[in-house]
Amino acid sequence: MMGNTTRKRAILASALLALTGLFASALPAQAAEVGVTAKEIKLGITSPLSGRAAAVYGKVPGAMDAYFKHVNANGGVYGRSIKLISKDDAYLPTSAVAQTNQLILKDKVFAIVGALGTANHLAALRSTNLSGRGIPDLFVNTGFSAFADPAKYKTTFAVLPSYRMEAKIMAKYIKDNLANKKIALIVQDDDFGIDAAAGFTQAGLTFEKTIKFPAGKDTAADAQGWITNTLKPANIDLAIIFATTSTTAALLGTAAALAYRPTNGWMLGSVGGDSNTLIAGKVPLAILNGAIGFNFAPDPQDPTDEYVAEFKKIYAKYVPGSTFDLTVIQGMNSAMLTVQALRAAGTNPTRKGLIAAIKAKGSTFAHAGFTPLNYSNSSHVGYNGYWIGKYSATGALLPIDGKRTIYTTDSGSGAVKVITSARPKLPKDGLPTNK
Amino acid sequence: MPKKLKTRLSLFILLGWALLLLGDRVDELRVYQGASIAIYAIAIGSIVLLTGYSGQISLGHGALMAVGGYVAALASVEFGIPFWAGFILAALISGIFGGLLGIAAARLSGPYLAGTTLALAVGLPSLANQFPILGGEQGLYFDIGMPPQQLGESFTQYKWFYWIAALAALIVFFLLSNLLSSRYGRTWRGIGSNETAIALSGSNPQRLKIVAFALSSALAGLSGALLVMTISTASPSAFPLALSLSVVTGAVIAGVSSLKGVIFGSVILVAIPEIADAISHRVGDTLRISSTLPGLLISILLVFAVLVTPNGPGENLRHLLHKGKSHK
Repeated sequence: MMGNTTRKRAILASALLALTGLFASALPAQAAEVGVTAKEIKLGITSPLSGRAAAVYGKVPGAMDAYFKHVNANGGVYGRSIKLISKDDAYLPTSAVAQTNQLILKDKVFAIVGALGTANHLAALRSTNLSGRGIPDLFVNTGFSAFADPAKYKTTFAVLPSYRMEAKIMAKYIKDNLANKKIALIVQDDDFGIDAAAGFTQAGLTFEKTIKFPAGKDTAADAQGWITNTLKPANIDLAIIFATTSTTAALLGTAAALAYRPTNGWMLGSVGGDSNTLIAGKVPLAILNGAIGFNFAPDPQDPTDEYVAEFKKIYAKYVPGSTFDLTVIQGMNSAMLTVQALRAAGTNPTRKGLIAAIKAKGSTFAHAGFTPLNYSNSSHVGYNGYWIGKYSATGALLPIDGKRTIYTTDSGSGAVKVITSARPKLPKDGLPTNK
Repeated sequence: MPKKLKTRLSLFILLGWALLLLGDRVDELRVYQGASIAIYAIAIGSIVLLTGYSGQISLGHGALMAVGGYVAALASVEFGIPFWAGFILAALISGIFGGLLGIAAARLSGPYLAGTTLALAVGLPSLANQFPILGGEQGLYFDIGMPPQQLGESFTQYKWFYWIAALAALIVFFLLSNLLSSRYGRTWRGIGSNETAIALSGSNPQRLKIVAFALSSALAGLSGALLVMTISTASPSAFPLALSLSVVTGAVIAGVSSLKGVIFGSVILVAIPEIADAISHRVGDTLRISSTLPGLLISILLVFAVLVTPNGPGENLRHLLHKGKSHK
């Protein structure tokens, strides 16, 4: 009996020793920078490629990739080609977390670019701690103002104007042009909508009615309920739709079917205001005509704009058959900023160097927007304003009275200002040569 | 301490030590997957206890995981309770919830019970959209904080998740294996195979079934809380119907009648998205296939497991070894 126990102990001890020996050897050291080889730079993006939001925002990775392919075909970034790894998060925060983890841990990307969706990316940022791990998180496709806070998110750079800025500019326009009207706000009930509401509160604009709805609960049936139960009985003069394109399409489509229009019409937030997508979503042109819209970039239907012309050419070459719309412009514009950031980071880019380069030189990058880029040592804000337009009979957003007035502001208590744009010229063939 | 218990305890301590060392050996992705394996193992263990022993079927364990996940997140967000206490609370409250559910469940059986629990899995998580305190679709942010500084700078968040999840799994399986080899385990198994015989032997099958449902729910709740830890968010989308079905599939693959295959089942569940990814890379279409392939693979595996190894591959292996021995 004793022998048995002793033998068991001996087996146990030797097993432990063997295990220790097996595992105690050190890990191999990390070589060079993650995601960068002599020939390639790996970048990652999460966006909805399936689900309701996919039809619109699913175009972002393709648009970015089209631009990267254009750059790759012309020598890449200092000889390295850019590889964009695209992951589907189905517009769900939990998938965004899982996919961002995949990009970092499995695909080992150099940086995340153009991650889309406020709630989704917020969950991913918090969970994966990009900031603490020094992983660049560039040009996020959301206007959530906190993403531009370098104290909170050290490695995240915003590009879109924030929802707060947009709400403040909307409020300014309403106060100047539609004072004492009954205004309704239709807004997504998450951080996206909360951010906008904070902007309206900041500007002192109050609403006759506010409709808050959870993301995804925006079918035609929901929209019918909003119109017949809330908007119509309250005799609303102007309805602001501060939501994604699927919501805007559902609401406008239903309004057209019910022959409903607020007295002074609709105001569409920039997130859901891309007319090409709305038209593709079966929104009749007639109901869009005359609605007020906001954009920081050129309208995709503007043939005179040099950025639109170049981007359109590149997009048609690499993604043939796909409609060229505002989402595509934004995606390609962010890709162009990314290439300039990589160039500015030098011939041997590091994550740290990339972030420093955007802080130091980001405000000088070429871009399609009409407001300046506001990157600096203390600011991760990209665009800080909009021009206001009205949708034409063909769905193009045209400056009101033919004059493009550009409004800028901040996400805090700053005033709304009118500026004159001095947009940088498009680099030859859309290929940056910055250093 | 009885000798059997002592041996089992040393076995678990040994296993724990091996896992600890393993965590230092592999890269971050594997560490993160290790945490997922531990979490799935607990969830599958809860199904084994429920189905393999007490003979009750649940297709809605994802809903019970959601209860645990939300309890842990609420405990931390609303009451500032430390995360480990939140995990215990999650198990406790899910257990109570499951106990109440078990009262109803004990009256149902077979497809009726499966249907009821399935409805729960579909409906319960989206309830979060009705109560602002639960944060809607966006959910609640649940942060257990950075690992203690004493563990060193290179100790990553992922390793911290892995340690916590692996420790929880070890404790759960130590307690569970003891419980199932006790009188309770035997009686539960009796209910599963012949309820009348158990009633005739003087036990109350209804009460025992309720206890099994409550315990199983507590484990599901704990795994839900751990799941929420690894993604920092308790939201309805974290607990889709697919989760409930995956856990059941994992249990079937593992062999629902014994705890021994649990690790096997959970490794497969974690490996499936990887396999799907590899396949879709080979096929060339990386986007469309990789999002739907995991579901297909899980379904195929479930059908395959039911047809080929209804008692789990562990059982088959044992048979095979037995045969080999008897031939010698």
